[in-house]
Amino acid sequence: MNRRIVVAMLCAVLLLAGAGGETPAQSPGRLIVQSQTEPPGLDMTATPATATSGIVFYNVQESLVKVDRHGKLVPSLAERWHTADNRNYTFFLKKGVRFHNGREMKAADVKYCFERALNPETKHPYAKDYEAIGDIIVKDDYTVTFALKTVNANFLQNVARAGASIYPRETVDTMKSHPVGTGPFRFEEWVRGDRVVLVKNGDYHVKGLPKLERVTFRFVTDPNAVLAALKAGDVDASLFGLGPEHVQDLQKDARFQVITGDTTNDVILAMNNSRKPYGDVRVRRAMTYGVNKADVLKGAMFGMGKILGTNVDPLNPYYVDLSKAMPYDPARAKKLLAEAGYPNGFDSVLKVSPQYDYTVRSGQVVADSLKKIGVNVKIEQIEWGQWIARVFREADYDLTIIGHAEAWDIKNYANAKYYYRYDSAKFQDLFNKSEVTVDDKARREIYVDMQKLLVEDAPVVWLFMHPRLAVTKKGLQGLWKDLPASANDLSEVSWAPAK
Amino acid sequence: MRRYVARRIAALVATLVFVSALVFVVVRVLPGDPASIMLGTEGSPEALARLRDAMGLNRPLPVQYAEWMGGALRGDLGRSLQYDVPVGALIVSRLPVTLPLALLAALFMAAAALPLGVYAATHHRRAGDYAAMILSQVGISVPQFWSGLLLILFFSVHLGWVRSGGFEGWSSGVGPALRSLLLPAIALGLFQAAVLVRATRSAVLDVLREDYVRTARAKGLGEARVVGVHTFRNALIPVVTVAGIQLGQLMAGAIVLESVFALPGLGRLALGAISARDLPVVQGVALFVASSIVVINFAVDLAYGVLDPRIRYE
Repeated sequence: MNRRIVVAMLCAVLLLAGAGGETPAQSPGRLIVQSQTEPPGLDMTATPATATSGIVFYNVQESLVKVDRHGKLVPSLAERWHTADNRNYTFFLKKGVRFHNGREMKAADVKYCFERALNPETKHPYAKDYEAIGDIIVKDDYTVTFALKTVNANFLQNVARAGASIYPRETVDTMKSHPVGTGPFRFEEWVRGDRVVLVKNGDYHVKGLPKLERVTFRFVTDPNAVLAALKAGDVDASLFGLGPEHVQDLQKDARFQVITGDTTNDVILAMNNSRKPYGDVRVRRAMTYGVNKADVLKGAMFGMGKILGTNVDPLNPYYVDLSKAMPYDPARAKKLLAEAGYPNGFDSVLKVSPQYDYTVRSGQVVADSLKKIGVNVKIEQIEWGQWIARVFREADYDLTIIGHAEAWDIKNYANAKYYYRYDSAKFQDLFNKSEVTVDDKARREIYVDMQKLLVEDAPVVWLFMHPRLAVTKKGLQGLWKDLPASANDLSEVSWAPAK
Repeated sequence: MRRYVARRIAALVATLVFVSALVFVVVRVLPGDPASIMLGTEGSPEALARLRDAMGLNRPLPVQYAEWMGGALRGDLGRSLQYDVPVGALIVSRLPVTLPLALLAALFMAAAALPLGVYAATHHRRAGDYAAMILSQVGISVPQFWSGLLLILFFSVHLGWVRSGGFEGWSSGVGPALRSLLLPAIALGLFQAAVLVRATRSAVLDVLREDYVRTARAKGLGEARVVGVHTFRNALIPVVTVAGIQLGQLMAGAIVLESVFALPGLGRLALGAISARDLPVVQGVALFVASSIVVINFAVDLAYGVLDPRIRYE
């Protein structure tokens, strides 16, 4: 009898499993993208989560100005703009742009969205970016002028950010679960825990786009599950979920293409400047000389990425390559430590969060490197929530490793309360000057000076730029190579016609 | 019987109050508050203060607890901080994944463990017994996420029979939905079966030594009847006890396997909620799971009386 039960069960299993083949993920016009984390909500004016902008920005909602795939500011909802005095910016809106609910986008919508961002009641995550705006004047349905209280050199950059996307006011209350915008794709559904589905906006204001009919973002967190899903053909592309440790064998697999490029994500070894011994610039310089960055890149990132020497990332127009300004030099590091009163080195604790595995791996190489100059680093792994609370908010740490993905984040070094606790009046002056200098050449000079000053002061050790690593099935084309903006623009993505 | 049920219900309520208080305190002493995590590395201290205020995190703990308990008694578990939807609705929306997964896994567990356990006992100290015990040892030792991955590699990557993960939803048909749950249910059920095999084997062995089994054999009954009728039912009491405990453990296993198979179930909801410090969701899920386990144990106790009429509840 027992045997009969076993046989019956096995038959049932096989029948269930074998019944009908699965439709392969790849079919023309459709794309299934793996997304690592489920967004906390789909309203970009309520959360700074990259999981949200990664789906919504550029695809569902857009801004007046756009950062394109080369990092350049190009027209988007505004077909052009004009400023004579760097205080008053007039935007001329594209005509005939329709929201997904059918209504035409007009200047009053632009005014509404920015005023809403500035209203403290709405808890907009980037309200600070727009506080220079004094007045918003609607001249006619397609012309709007922003009068700034002060000159703000980053104004256009800020207008291009996710937080400045334009949406219809009548959908504000439901944006968290159903975003409406002007983008190439319309939001269709969000099955909590599983996927977000977008479909083609047939009425898109850029002719010929988008090329895909339907995009599904599927939430798969575990990297091994991502690999399996790719290999089983259940997802077509992974844009963020895989690290260099996972793509090694995919690079050799003819079914896939691995896209590597530059990002704005700089990975740093932060030192708490308000704590002994890191208050001493000689110790901080010694740390910089003492870390073998080439080893870190090789050991932790399988050689992928670029070594950095200062804050500004390679995609920034003001980037200067200072990666060799303070090369690996353990003898010099030891000498500096002796000068600072630590001839025998010291002990220090490095806090990293395994949520970002590359930080743990980098930490191991860094610890090994620093041991050679007498600095004994103990690695303490803490959960991400604790990292945010203890390291980031309270600066309760000696050393930590993390990637800063935000573009134009040099401002953090001008903030003495930021968790680096780097407090330099000279740097703060330079930064404030850069904020009100609009002339490109003059501004570039200030940026070069800031980068050089950072090298000298060594408030943190800049390790490397985290590379963009996307894996897709062969035949998918049109994805961005570099990532100058925190977005996944899928408007130009398509499948190559089958040969 | 009535008094027994009343006592059990009182115990259930006490357990839930205790669990709720424990979970409430534990998630709040963990460093890292939900507002901080929600804002990540980009929010300013002012934005953080505003968000904390909006989320009601600035009020005293006892006030927060009393409010939450009051709501829970009225069936309102609060709103998810992360998704901004009622926690109750969120839990209910995940049940169509987790309940069938647990049921299927329980089915696999019983289907694999009972025959194998009986077989091992009736072939005591013979090759079949040793083979079954080695198999069970392997099952206990192999971590579930690993066996899950192996199943994915073999059945979806290599053979392409089933999806590697994800869940289409029941609306797309019973067949596809069951197919998404099949591999995780096997991974979950087989592991639990490994423990149950041992319990079944030793229970059956004990009963086989009883006088009435010898009598049955002396009467000339066939071995199948001796084992199937006289032994098996009487061996079920300890087996049902272990199975009941394991049903509870299926929930813990589901947390891991739902991640590996990218299933939108209760386990993944809980995991995500813990790392995002979505306190109302963590509390709601913990309360739900605790109640389920208490109810399962209650059902197990009632089953004793059915299986063995000598057991009375007075």
